[in-house]
Amino acid sequence: MQNRIAEHPILGTPQKGRLVSFSFDGKNMEGYEGEPIAAALKAGGIMIHRYTAKQHKPRGIFCAIGRCTDCVMIVDGKPNIRTCVTPLKEGMEVRTQYGCSAKKDDTL
Amino acid sequence: MKRYNLIVVGAGPAGLCAGIEAAKRGMSVIVFDENEKPGGQLFKQIHKFFGSKEHKAKIRGFKIGEQLLKEAAATGVEVRLNATVTGLYPDKEIMVKHGDGMYHYKGDSIIIATGAAENMVPFENWTLPGVIGAGAAQTLMNLHGIKPGNRILMLGSGNVGLVVSFQLLQAGCEVAALVDAAPRIGGYGVHAAKVARTGVPFYLSHTIIKAEGTDHVTGVIIGEVDDHFKPIPGTEKQFDVDTICIAVGLSPMSQLLKMSGCTMEDNPRRGGEVPVVDEYGETSIPQLFAAGDVSGIEEASSAMIKGKMAGIRAAYELGFCKETETENSLEKCTADLDSLRQGMFAPGNKGKLIEKTEEGIPVSMNLLTKGFVADGEIIHFPGVTSQKGIHPVIECTQNIPCNPCQDACVKHCIKIGSHITSLPVVENPAPCTGCGLCVASCSGQAIFLVNENYEPGFASITMPYEFLPLPEKGDKGKGLGRDGKTVCDAEIIDVKSLPAFDHTNLVTMKVPAEFVMKARFFKAV
Repeated sequence: MQNRIAEHPILGTPQKGRLVSFSFDGKNMEGYEGEPIAAALKAGGIMIHRYTAKQHKPRGIFCAIGRCTDCVMIVDGKPNIRTCVTPLKEGMEVRTQYGCSAKKDDTL
Repeated sequence: MKRYNLIVVGAGPAGLCAGIEAAKRGMSVIVFDENEKPGGQLFKQIHKFFGSKEHKAKIRGFKIGEQLLKEAAATGVEVRLNATVTGLYPDKEIMVKHGDGMYHYKGDSIIIATGAAENMVPFENWTLPGVIGAGAAQTLMNLHGIKPGNRILMLGSGNVGLVVSFQLLQAGCEVAALVDAAPRIGGYGVHAAKVARTGVPFYLSHTIIKAEGTDHVTGVIIGEVDDHFKPIPGTEKQFDVDTICIAVGLSPMSQLLKMSGCTMEDNPRRGGEVPVVDEYGETSIPQLFAAGDVSGIEEASSAMIKGKMAGIRAAYELGFCKETETENSLEKCTADLDSLRQGMFAPGNKGKLIEKTEEGIPVSMNLLTKGFVADGEIIHFPGVTSQKGIHPVIECTQNIPCNPCQDACVKHCIKIGSHITSLPVVENPAPCTGCGLCVASCSGQAIFLVNENYEPGFASITMPYEFLPLPEKGDKGKGLGRDGKTVCDAEIIDVKSLPAFDHTNLVTMKVPAEFVMKARFFKAV
């Protein structure tokens, strides 16, 4: 949670939902219900959301408003989910996306 | 198929204002927005707006957003969120994706207010995680309470780059440098000055050569550019940063308009491909309007007025508004818009080097190239006077459309006059009581209260302060100059935080008298 702003000089204490747990590549993580999945990952220090299909280059948050699709991941088995505009729910399974797949090998 | 008198696409400042004006006049109005929350970019804008009362000056962007949403609800505007308009077809018909379904709507008139998207510049490794848009930084920190990074380099010195740099500091991030390939700072000098005095260095005529890192950003190399914007070998400078923030302008998101078949033009002055519109925003297709950034990049204040004009005109064309009322309302909007488009940053002055203010004072070249006015330059401005006792010192040195300081002073110490871009003048002697309302009212944080005779050998300086932790009375530290460098010892003697100041705290420090016109920021040690 090292990237969360505890107190802001203009906005005060950030208003957040309930603290829930979710998984990232099988590891347990926590975030606030309703915030974008990408926000919860960023708060937990995760930078890489996916690897590109051809050159296997890492990608992460870029526009944070759902336009660029750089932050897409596999969420509850569905690929290409824009994590910057998809609200976090308890128990979500979030996986790094390799090309269009959850498996690293498929892209090699 | 559902039918409305007016369909608005985009619930940002332009779209909401358009919807409100139309609904007020009796039209049935629906506003679609693809986002989960309405307000466009307003809820990320935590600074006080410029302009005059009519432009909602000195109100923070997100507060304006809250006001607009209330007004929209009160006037009966339906706002449909998570709803992406995917097509605009003949006879004002649209398709909307909502959840997993597609829905068909028809309007008697349509206003497109889809805003703009950020531009990008490619450089080596620009796709690395950690390279983000300035908008992404604003979204993360101001909407979601997440620091975009710990140490950040900003590319772009327009108002977005300057304002977001300041917001990064407010969020507790470190800004390593502010870089722009242009030879001069593009945004308001006051925005640059409030960043520079905290110690952020500016590198004009510099660009990013490469981002460093293998799977995320660990550093950045910048270099100086020549007159053709080509990097000069041997001028490279390296910074350890975890985030690179890009603020290099916006492009209108005009795809729906293009699809409609209305006449488009490629107009660099308006930011790219835009519809050809009349003075009310009406395109070549009758009753199809464009308002806000989609019809030409400006900012939220003018977007609100352009939205209003399109809404009023749409109401008139469909018989919801009488001719005289329409004329009067539109005339008022035109006057408000004109006053925003005055001064050194008027659309017609884009890219021009202006060497003198309207008053004939030489413009600070230090401000344009380094982000701060030099000690020797500041004394030429009419808001900067030396007087006995407490008085305001207004370091407002460019003609911009803004006048809240004039209204803030109940003693009428500060005069701008009827011309909104005139530099504020401080009366000499000023009947100042030291209330501090002018300091808090200045959207550019350019007003200081100075008492040159605080006690023998010492002066007091009251400055606007919007950071945490807030200094406390008795704190000892250093006074920083306009350039962010240490100039003297300083001690905090007063901290005021009143509701009327709206989160702009007034921090007063005591400094040796000879630094009264030099120290402009406090750093605890």
